[in-house]
Amino acid sequence: MLERSIIQQRGFRNIVDGNDITGFQVPIRLNYYRGVWMSQVRPITVTVDGTTYEGDQIAWEVSGKTIAQKDLADSTDIHWNSLDAAMLLVKKAGGLKPGIHDIEVFNEFSASYLPPRLDLMFSRPEQRRMVLVR
Amino acid sequence: MNIYDHRKKLERERTKGVPYRGVSLYCYAEELGFTMTLEDCLADMYDMGATGLEILANGHIENYPNPGEEWLENWFFLLEKYDIEPVEYGHWVDSRMIPEKQLSTKQSYEMLVRDITLASKLGFTVMRTKLGVVDEILNPVPNWREFIEMALPVAEEHNVRMCPELHQPTALKSAMVDDYVEFIEKTGTKHFGLNIDLGVFQTADRLEIPGYDDKPCQPEDMVDLLPYTYACHAKFTHMTEDLEDPTHPYKEILAVMIREQWDGCLLSEYEGKNKDVPGYSSDQLRKQHVMMRKLLGEID
Repeated sequence: MLERSIIQQRGFRNIVDGNDITGFQVPIRLNYYRGVWMSQVRPITVTVDGTTYEGDQIAWEVSGKTIAQKDLADSTDIHWNSLDAAMLLVKKAGGLKPGIHDIEVFNEFSASYLPPRLDLMFSRPEQRRMVLVR
Repeated sequence: MNIYDHRKKLERERTKGVPYRGVSLYCYAEELGFTMTLEDCLADMYDMGATGLEILANGHIENYPNPGEEWLENWFFLLEKYDIEPVEYGHWVDSRMIPEKQLSTKQSYEMLVRDITLASKLGFTVMRTKLGVVDEILNPVPNWREFIEMALPVAEEHNVRMCPELHQPTALKSAMVDDYVEFIEKTGTKHFGLNIDLGVFQTADRLEIPGYDDKPCQPEDMVDLLPYTYACHAKFTHMTEDLEDPTHPYKEILAVMIREQWDGCLLSEYEGKNKDVPGYSSDQLRKQHVMMRKLLGEID
């Protein structure tokens, strides 16, 4: 089951590669009543304690596939189901320190059946205070 | 289970020439996946005797558009367990799917074919085909005729009807709806029709559209469209404690349907407040279904 907030707790931890911590991951749900194709999703920014990560510092993990942000617009065949969390993989050598962090994300995506003026209307930023253990 | 026999059994139990009741899982949008499972939603419908189901494909089908065998097996098991008929498969032709571009006719056709195939596999006979729109009053993309016409033989082969939704602020008497009817009459197809969202009749608290003089449609406006209408969204935003809908004229709407012997499915769509309060949408749905049972002559 999902949590109500866009930023989800389960899955929030550092990313370990061999002996190194290479970054951290933040799970988010889609703020929408249906799923979207990843080409409908715009590049996202993640802000942690005032530091913003963007562009190629972030990759997406959706439906078992990893997508670089520059490839989102071409990802017309990868579907993000609204009942599944997507994982944001953020590069940061050493990761985040165990403890409390203020996380902010802004996930934007298009909805073609609305007037073009309202294309991104379901998108909204969200903040959540999160605890990272490892 | 054989979906054909299952559907026939449910059809036999219905009154001929009268609409029957169902629910769109859109009603549970803030609960399904948070506080309720798919089975919880269907069990809730069983309590109401709501036998018709609408799902939103991109969301309610695990691993859409390629559900696994285990999911499919459970799907048919649940339909039988709760006396549910898969009626309408909600899907989208996302014309702005690729940033800064419009989907080509061929790409739109390919999206349609993928959904037609899956809808049919899950036992659906109607598809709520949401087209991309180009303006404030929801006119569809200009190439809709081309890709719908290309898909008609595929829809026929899979026994499904593609139905764009006529939704507020669209007026039933308008050029857009005339275009759809003209297309149906010109092609003579039984595999493209309409879904009327009964919110077009809403009398108060309507959507505010900039620069558009929006007025409620009249129930009689439906008459010429009903022969082409394969499902309706029974839209509501608030049921009172007296089990009445103060903003949608259901008594008049259902009287017209019964008079015209329209016997399609009324799929409830709750679009009011507190959808994220556990149990709230179900309480609203139950109230609406008591109202509909009375108006359909099921109870006094």
